[in-house]
Amino acid sequence: MTRSIVMLGGPDSGKTNYIGRLWHALDATGGSLHAAVQPTEVAFVKGVINHLFEGHFAPRSELTDERRDFEVIVATEAGGPQTALVVPDISGELWRNAVTDGEIAPDWMAELTSADGALLFVRVDSDQNVPALNWVTSRNMLKKLGVEEDPGIPTQTMLCELIRFLQVSLKPRLDGSKPRLSVVVAAWDLIDADAFEKGPLAYLTREYPMLAGRLDDLNDIEVRVFGLSVVGGDLGEPDFRDAYLDEGFDGHGWVAMHNGSNWQKIADITLPLAWVVGT
Amino acid sequence: MSRTCKLEGCAIDELGTCALEQDPATCKNRIGIVAAEVTPTAGPVEPGMPDFGAPVLEQPTRSVPFPSSRPLGPDGLNRMMGKQYVNLIGILGDPESGKTACLASLYLLVSNAALNGWKFADSKSLMAFEDIARGARDWNNGTPPDQMTVHTEMSDDYKPGFLHLRLKREADGKRFDLALPDLPGEWTQALVSSARTDRFEFLKSAEAIWMFADGRTLADRAKRSALIFDLGQLARRLMTFLGDHKPRLLIVVTHHDRHPLDAAVQQRITNELAKCGASAQIMPVAPFSDAPEEVPSGHGLSQLVDASVGLSSENPIFWASSPPKDGDRAFLRHRRDR
Repeated sequence: MTRSIVMLGGPDSGKTNYIGRLWHALDATGGSLHAAVQPTEVAFVKGVINHLFEGHFAPRSELTDERRDFEVIVATEAGGPQTALVVPDISGELWRNAVTDGEIAPDWMAELTSADGALLFVRVDSDQNVPALNWVTSRNMLKKLGVEEDPGIPTQTMLCELIRFLQVSLKPRLDGSKPRLSVVVAAWDLIDADAFEKGPLAYLTREYPMLAGRLDDLNDIEVRVFGLSVVGGDLGEPDFRDAYLDEGFDGHGWVAMHNGSNWQKIADITLPLAWVVGT
Repeated sequence: MSRTCKLEGCAIDELGTCALEQDPATCKNRIGIVAAEVTPTAGPVEPGMPDFGAPVLEQPTRSVPFPSSRPLGPDGLNRMMGKQYVNLIGILGDPESGKTACLASLYLLVSNAALNGWKFADSKSLMAFEDIARGARDWNNGTPPDQMTVHTEMSDDYKPGFLHLRLKREADGKRFDLALPDLPGEWTQALVSSARTDRFEFLKSAEAIWMFADGRTLADRAKRSALIFDLGQLARRLMTFLGDHKPRLLIVVTHHDRHPLDAAVQQRITNELAKCGASAQIMPVAPFSDAPEEVPSGHGLSQLVDASVGLSSENPIFWASSPPKDGDRAFLRHRRDR
């Protein structure tokens, strides 16, 4: 049975790097999900992973119009039931345009309507983040003073619209239950210990209050929020980068997940996808 | 002659039936049929040779629209009201009285988590709010449209309609779906001056009506009397038009940052409304403040939302008590008087 999981997020939200790191984790078979069969086509993910191996993140894929799918057959346990997954990497620019125009190309719409789960990406401290309008900017725009450069659709507005797209398109899971959405806050290693303790949902509530409110109000989609660090640290920091280059991926990269009492780092990068795939 | 048939008088495209009563799929007069018969006999196109039978232009790929998040038309609002309880709010006021600024400021408050006591939960017209806050809604260069939006599919179509905003009250977690109309001020002027009520039928379902009054005009001794009189006239029109339906009337006085409402003026407004038996709560607001240190931008809007969804001052008693009297055979006469 082939299932489709879509990945959404604005420009520079960490989708492509996650796919590259995910492939390595699936191949390693130590996580919640593993690749049951080596995929036929790995050129795209291999290109991404090579960047990570060299100690820097993959460049933004915003200007890539061509379709790049990561297709893999996964299983939760050796010899267990297998699921063929198609995870299309759609550029953040395409999603942003979809929100601005209120429409999307037919093949991407087909992808959305055939999916029963999704991963929504937000990245900490992204330079592509567009803050919510404030009274000064809005007043100048209302008066048409022409001194304000239009910053574009605010990130949280875009994310709320993407969730609305998912609401109207995702289909129920095979067992009839609600579709699932993993909200992944990437670059979670950049936040301080206090913010880590409070968790990614508290971060979203502070930075993107409308998105947090929207997630709280979602009744037709099951939501779980994760923190993510694909390599477990900041590759811009020389000490971390040296250690990372010496040791490779192993032991680097984690997902922050709530265990019922507090937030924990778990060295299983597949968790956000594994929860969406479910059992 | 139809577009796809050569026979004079045949209206196959319009009516769907052939004038010669033949099967449209095989009739020789159909233009498409002839082309279809000729083209296949040409056989495969040799390499290097132009394909004369091929379409000249490639069919453009049409994008698929998502359900709109622009203002809802009356039908869209009715559909929503059929599914859930919606707090419909009427918004009336002259042009430039601050209606749009108030909607923009309300959106800025929820998007910056600054609306006291409330949190954003959802909006089916998020992009319309975004447009309003950016000043992108301009009633067709000063020519206000005459009707509500009838369709919400076209993203570049700026027509009056309803904005949806679902808010969660922090005190009890209860969610309220507000429908806020975004209408040109000229409609209110036409309501007052010539009793044009046809575009305001929705007010009969409204829980609250915001009547906007420009605080700058109320501060001007030479102009305030006319505005107070107009408010009275508007209230009178509403009382006549709405009949037994009595939504909460809220007079929203703008520009509270620079022109706080004088107590004497407030009393004059109350007196003017009392002439037609109306009463209203007066709500001073400052959607955009010129003195943010003293009066922050968005001042008064959370109170306005509170008052709009709160209990009506004229709520009927749900279960009126009727103490039994001895010997009046209460059991037999139960509810006979209703």
